[in-house]
Amino acid sequence: MTDLPEGQRDGVWAHPYQLASGQTQQHQLGHTHLWLTLLDREWQVRFQVQKPVSTADPVTWYETVGHSLPSQDIPIQRFIRSGDNGMVRFFPAMGNLPTVIRPSQPLTVAAGGRCVLYVGTTLWMKVCVGDQRTELTEVPLAIPSRTWLGRNTMEGELCYASSTFGRLALEAVPKRPWRAVTPVTLINRREQPLLLERFNLPTPLLSVYRNERGQLWTPGVTVECETDMNSASLRIDHLAPKAAGPSERLAPAREKLARGRRLVRAFDHLFG
Amino acid sequence: MLETLQSSLMEAAGNLAWTKWFSVAFLLVLGGVLGGITGRGVVRLVESRTTRHHQVMIRRLCFYVVFLVFAMAALRHAGFSLEVVLGAAGILTVALGFASQTSASNIISGLFLVMEKPFEIGDTIEVETTMGEVVAIDLLSVKLRTPDNLYVRIPNETLIKTLVINRSRFPIRRVDLTLGIAYAEDVEKVQAMLLGLAEDAPACLEEPKPFVRVSGFGPSSVDLQFSFWVPKEEFFEGRSGMMIAVRKALDEYNIEIPYPHTRVYAGSNSDPFRVQLMAPGKQDDKDFPDVDKNP
Repeated sequence: MTDLPEGQRDGVWAHPYQLASGQTQQHQLGHTHLWLTLLDREWQVRFQVQKPVSTADPVTWYETVGHSLPSQDIPIQRFIRSGDNGMVRFFPAMGNLPTVIRPSQPLTVAAGGRCVLYVGTTLWMKVCVGDQRTELTEVPLAIPSRTWLGRNTMEGELCYASSTFGRLALEAVPKRPWRAVTPVTLINRREQPLLLERFNLPTPLLSVYRNERGQLWTPGVTVECETDMNSASLRIDHLAPKAAGPSERLAPAREKLARGRRLVRAFDHLFG
Repeated sequence: MLETLQSSLMEAAGNLAWTKWFSVAFLLVLGGVLGGITGRGVVRLVESRTTRHHQVMIRRLCFYVVFLVFAMAALRHAGFSLEVVLGAAGILTVALGFASQTSASNIISGLFLVMEKPFEIGDTIEVETTMGEVVAIDLLSVKLRTPDNLYVRIPNETLIKTLVINRSRFPIRRVDLTLGIAYAEDVEKVQAMLLGLAEDAPACLEEPKPFVRVSGFGPSSVDLQFSFWVPKEEFFEGRSGMMIAVRKALDEYNIEIPYPHTRVYAGSNSDPFRVQLMAPGKQDDKDFPDVDKNP
């Protein structure tokens, strides 16, 4: 499976890569190893998501173009080409299920107070070919772990579990090319302090931006808890957050919230 | 004498109103013939769309309906009042009512089921010992498809009267595995290992949290209960995958799942028996002839 890299480079999102027929482009991003092969009549996609061996957090995105293919055990997806010129771009995508975020330890927000948490969520990578950016498939950049968020085991929803904790300091959030950072502002409008153990980030409604340093951000989310512990209103900003600096939008949100509707999500505590 | 007989017969015959009886008989025969023709005609119309069973039923139904109409007309013509017939119909209805008790009960049970909605089409339910996916909820019965593709019809009455388990109602399910480890093993180490497996398994949900409990001290082993939650569609794969992972991990860590142990004593406080295996061929059995030995 080893090959002589014809120059290993850092991968870039939304960058047009031109492949010639017969070439295979390899990507090592996050916990995923992806092989994209261009042939005369088809595209072939193979990928393997590795289980994290230790607490190691892959940092860089390696990309090379060569001619070697991985072992036969890796399943292959084939896509018939229809008039594309061998150009491929990779776009980030947020998860299709909401993500449950937990601060590293439960934290209490004083009555009338607010706090800002920065959370990192794992992305999916969409493989898009040609000028029309036809999407072939999407590949997770880490094995998604799921969890259940609900008042009890009868009502609630399946969500992804965030692989990182929510952090109060932006510097403490590890910046990775395969994760997007979301600033979450929590406002406690109640008269009692609010204990936050976990909350639900509406990942499918967030779009992805890239700032000048190549970091990926999503629009900020504001959660206001007014009276009831069990219901809080949630607002999503429209543009990239200020903390990111000047940014360009790389990918739209998967789903759109109906106009004029404010999301109400529950602050759910663990059932017994 | 013969003449008196003949004349009295002719008188009676004259009084008999032959025409009337002729018309009655004619109507009955006509009814029968027309019934037959109608029956066959209707069946020919719907032949392509119905089964043989239905065709026979339709033909008979048409025949009887037409015949009944003509019979009623004939009776009217003969001068019988229809009230007697209606009275008989009343008694018939009571008889039918008794006979259809079960069906009526099923229909009413069906209505209650529809209102209560304990399950819907597509859910997997278990009734008594039968488990299957609901494919139809009809007036009298509910139809299931078992996992090995058999068609099961359950009367609604049974569903109202007995326990019905709906396996698809809630989105997540808990998998409970029991395993026994040898008394010599470190229980806490095994607990930590199992929770680590749950964290790695893709089907296993992070919350509700998986747990490991000691459920008892068995005769040969310490019994543990290992529970974790999975989405309901992945119940069987999650359980099977986890059992495979548990087996591998136990082998890797050299943790023993013990066989049942029993100690046998010769007397109250004596040493255990010595068991010695004899090599084959040294046996001196006079009862069983051995082909290889000299006779």
